[in-house]
Amino acid sequence: MQKVIEAAGLKLAYPRHEPVIKSASFEVETGEFVFITGASGSGKSTLLKSMYGSMPIYGGELQVGGIDMGSISGSKLYKLRRHIGIIFQDYKLIREWNVEKNVMLPLIISGFPKDVCRAQAQKLLTHVKLSHKSDKYPMELSGGEQQRVAMARALAHNPFLILADEPTGNLDDYSSQVVWDLLERANEELDTTILVVTHHIPEMLSANYRHLMIENGVLYEIH
Amino acid sequence: MRSIKDHMALTISLFAILFCIESLLVLDRIVKSYENDLKENYSLILVADRSVKVSDISHIDTLIGSVEPIDAESILKEIEGRMSEESLSKIRQIMPLFFSLKLRRYADRERIEKLKSELLSVAGVKEVHIFEKVHDRLYSMLLFIKSTLTLFGLLAGVVSILLLMKQMTIWQFEHKERMQIMSLFGAPVWLRSGVLFRLAVVDAFLAFAAVVSTMLYLSSNSEAIEFLQSIGADPDLLFRYDDIAVLAAVSFGVSLTCAAWVVARFKEEQ
Ligand SMILES: Nc1ncnc2c1ncn2[C@@H]1O[C@H](COP(=O)(O)OP(=O)(O)O)[C@@H](O)[C@H]1O
Ligand SMILES: [Mg+2]
Repeated sequence: MQKVIEAAGLKLAYPRHEPVIKSASFEVETGEFVFITGASGSGKSTLLKSMYGSMPIYGGELQVGGIDMGSISGSKLYKLRRHIGIIFQDYKLIREWNVEKNVMLPLIISGFPKDVCRAQAQKLLTHVKLSHKSDKYPMELSGGEQQRVAMARALAHNPFLILADEPTGNLDDYSSQVVWDLLERANEELDTTILVVTHHIPEMLSANYRHLMIENGVLYEIH
Repeated sequence: MRSIKDHMALTISLFAILFCIESLLVLDRIVKSYENDLKENYSLILVADRSVKVSDISHIDTLIGSVEPIDAESILKEIEGRMSEESLSKIRQIMPLFFSLKLRRYADRERIEKLKSELLSVAGVKEVHIFEKVHDRLYSMLLFIKSTLTLFGLLAGVVSILLLMKQMTIWQFEHKERMQIMSLFGAPVWLRSGVLFRLAVVDAFLAFAAVVSTMLYLSSNSEAIEFLQSIGADPDLLFRYDDIAVLAAVSFGVSLTCAAWVVARFKEEQ
């Protein structure tokens, strides 16, 4: 199996602050479904940020898709990000774009022709049960609907890795269900590697998953 | 969709800057053409006991344009009949040579006086006479208007630039979120700042088009033409096609610089 993520003695710290992550050593292989849990403020989001290059490496090593995140250059980082799907806790939809265009974003960035982007966006909006809202703007949607749009966007470009930060944190049951179903399907059908930060692991999940936990800045695997 | 209001702030500031530049260009042309007229009305006559060529004196002052001998024979011819051959040839012997000196451009009285004293020190030059046909009151007024307008233009320029900077801070705020998200999905700089540059180009074009149409309107406006004619200036001076290049360069230059500034200030948040 190919390694998607390799962390060895990883340390993460914000400038002029004590390290948030003091030691994280773990490996994630292609097609794995991994949960990361931990108390609020334990550094879950920080760890995820380091994986898409939004957080400098303070110590140790981190490789994502075989690329060393400690020495990655600007253009290489952008290239890597074009193959990752990120779901944020606060959705991060572009407010001046409608739902369809928001889903098209990763495809536009990768330079696909407009009609290809549009067709793919429509397909994914059907998956998240929102094709009837493709002309709406983010502000016109509920939180659950916005997160489903973000979900569609994260899957639009068939990423090899999905990083999700509390994707169902404050969603209604229906939206949570749609999100978990889609993550599972991407994992099963496309062998997409998935890393999800969450408070609690959903019971209905049928996939085999791994569970990592952060406590006092140290990452443990729960068996 | 962006509303007209979004374009207003930048377009109006750009318009003010361009309008000042254009006014200065026009005024500069009027003053130059006026100077040209004035210099025709100035003449310096050199009286010398030997021939003076322009190459002998051109080093004295860059003002010196040409030196032409004044034909004294024609004057002598007039009195030919009334004098004896003998007295005429005597006059011819003692009569000095006259030269008319033409200026390259107009200069103020002080400079001309300085030129005069320098010419007097040239070997052979006996006298220098200055003939002035017009008063230069209108010229002083033009110079005064020009300096006032330059000052006013500078002030307007500063105010406009402050306005521009304020608009840029607003842009920076408005576009930050989108640029941030696009950056997280791996959009290169040109893609995530595309909207900004498109906005900058549109605004620059609007301001440019507004100034050019204003000037075209003025140059065909009968009152403006009459005014120019009343001060003795050519109405054609109002708008030159060369101005279009200057205005376009400034408009797009300033606007794109502003957009580039916003893009350069962008930093990904942690
Ligand atoms: N931009 C930042 N600058 C400084 N400290 C931060 C920043 N973001 C988060 N932190 C701190 O880092 C710690 C971990 O934050 P985070 O990773 O967001 O926790 P969580 O596990 O709840 O996602 C917290 O103590 C938080 O206050
Ligand atoms: Mg968090």
